[in-house]
Amino acid sequence: MFKLFLAARYVLSRRVSYLGMAAIAVAVGALIVVVSVMSGFLDETRTLVRGTTADVIVTPVQDTAHGPPMPRQVLEQLTRAQPGVTGAVARLIRPAIVKVHGASTLLLNLAQFSDLNVVTVLGIDAEAEKPVSGLELYLHQVEDATRRVADPEHPFAIERSLIRDPKLKNAGLPHCLVGEDRMETLDLHPGDALVLSTISDNQEASAEAIKPSTQIFVIAGGFRTNHHPTDMANVYVERQDFLDWCGTSTEVSELYVRVEPGRDLAAVRDARKVALRSAGLSCEVETWQDRHRVYLGAVENERTILFCVLAFFVLLTCTITFCMMIMMVQEKIRDIGILSAMGAPSAGIGAIFAAAGGAIATGGAVAGYFAGEAVARNVDGVKDWLEDSFGIQIFRRDVYAFTKIPSVVDSRLDLLICGATVVFAFVICMLPALRAARLDPVEALRHD
Amino acid sequence: MTELASGTVERMPASSSAGAAGAAIVLHATGLQRRYRMGQEVIEVLRGLDLVLRAGESVAIMGRSGAGKSTLLHLMGLLDRPDAGSLQIDGTETSRLSRARRARLRNLNIGFVFQFYHLLPELTALENVMLPLMIQHGTLGWLAKRGAARRQSLAVLDELGLAHRARHRPAKLSGGERQRVAIARALVAQPRLLLCDEPTGNLDERTSETIADQLFALAARHGHSLVIVTHDRELAARADRRLLLHDGHLGAA
Repeated sequence: MFKLFLAARYVLSRRVSYLGMAAIAVAVGALIVVVSVMSGFLDETRTLVRGTTADVIVTPVQDTAHGPPMPRQVLEQLTRAQPGVTGAVARLIRPAIVKVHGASTLLLNLAQFSDLNVVTVLGIDAEAEKPVSGLELYLHQVEDATRRVADPEHPFAIERSLIRDPKLKNAGLPHCLVGEDRMETLDLHPGDALVLSTISDNQEASAEAIKPSTQIFVIAGGFRTNHHPTDMANVYVERQDFLDWCGTSTEVSELYVRVEPGRDLAAVRDARKVALRSAGLSCEVETWQDRHRVYLGAVENERTILFCVLAFFVLLTCTITFCMMIMMVQEKIRDIGILSAMGAPSAGIGAIFAAAGGAIATGGAVAGYFAGEAVARNVDGVKDWLEDSFGIQIFRRDVYAFTKIPSVVDSRLDLLICGATVVFAFVICMLPALRAARLDPVEALRHD
Repeated sequence: MTELASGTVERMPASSSAGAAGAAIVLHATGLQRRYRMGQEVIEVLRGLDLVLRAGESVAIMGRSGAGKSTLLHLMGLLDRPDAGSLQIDGTETSRLSRARRARLRNLNIGFVFQFYHLLPELTALENVMLPLMIQHGTLGWLAKRGAARRQSLAVLDELGLAHRARHRPAKLSGGERQRVAIARALVAQPRLLLCDEPTGNLDERTSETIADQLFALAARHGHSLVIVTHDRELAARADRRLLLHDGHLGAA
């Protein structure tokens, strides 16, 4: 009993013990908050990427100059016949240079070139797209009502009266859908027009110059996936308009495939590969994770790195406890002699210091656990309070494309962090404890 | 007067102890040797020392500084091991006991009083006194015995006139009070043997007298055997026997 009693007294009677606890609490709390926020980021990113990407993407490997294009209907039917596939829709995709119609310059800003002057144009069949992709949801998610499409059932339709430029009103121009983030950035509204320029397939390969194919598209409205890069880069146009603009014979750039919830996507992907190969169709098949593995891997990697850095910080604070125990043993050498004189066994004397170190680590880790979980669960409130109190901006929505700081609290992981901290601190505190246990009582009593 | 020693000093039978003749032997040291190595030099502090101490008997050990008094006290208190010789405490040969068993024997049978009190500063007077009892028990055992241990400790403090200071920490006590707390701590587990190292060496004359009075009175009342290492002749005069440690042997003072 004397071990716990004295350990408690030694810990409670020293201010430095509380500092040690505070250091461990801060480290453990910070680790829990950072891991939770990074997990939130990863989770949110996955959700966003997941929401804008098909479960499985089939990309035909084709060269229109050397053979017939991949037949769209064959590919769609073959894919839909696959067990577990709930829908498949073909898309045409092409990058384009974009300019706001009426703007005096093409490049708004060279530094913004990649962001503002290049888009990915997707040629879609709106009717076929609805049951398969999230297009309908994206149309409804537009926050600014003035930028929504007039009729989500016919998203590319627009009243002629809305077209601002009188020259365009009766020009019978094709329409497009633009991400709300891009519309906000360029102050665009339905009725404005974009000039899209790409390279057509009808090029003479041996020609000296590349002839662009340019088309004005009137904006019918916006969409919002909540994935900032997508909402900046993508422009939807109707399939036939896309074909007319590009002059391409390509029928499918990629096949957007939906799979039953709960299905093993990798298995569906592999089965798809086999089926397409058997049909003599050369295609790349990938899941949404495959498609975004670099992006998701980067976020995951960031989380791992931050975890390691902060875990190292936690270990560092544990070594502070170790140093405190070394100092405590040194300071208590005479007490050790007295305890020996009273008949305390060596193991018991060592246990006092091991328990003291363990108590500091446990106190700090438990405090850090609760503080960390509390902050992680209310990270947005804490952010608001910090921003209001200190006038600093902690989180920029435009950078991360999230409306709030995401956080996923994994209490099991947090408990593991807490437990590992206590175990590590306890183990390293065994060294000073062993020293205390091995002290010669006579030398200890003579210690000045 | 009873003494014994090896070599030139007459070896006296244990039963010849004055005042406690016929009483049980609490401590029996035979041929104790202890030497220290200082670089190349070997210093023989004890050279085959003999001593018999009976229950209820008090012995004062005197000697010049460096004679080995504290070394002898540490050997008798099982804090140190002799290089040769035998030491029995209450009939148990201690030289081959493990460190843990020696600690246990020390806890149950031996109490220490030091010149500089050696109280634990974080504990109150009462907690300091309770400590030897606490060491006897594990956590569960202590929970069952805590009340009794507390009463026992308070009773000893009361005997020393310190019940009203039980909740004070050592820093709030005078030198005399601290030494009385140290005596209470040494006595609380009712040891057979009380070893005192200059118990009044750090106190003024008047306080020393009071402490000595109380120490001898309590030892006599409870039947503790008492070994006092001191330079103080007046204190030594109170003991049943006075021995001089010289040249590694004990002889009559």
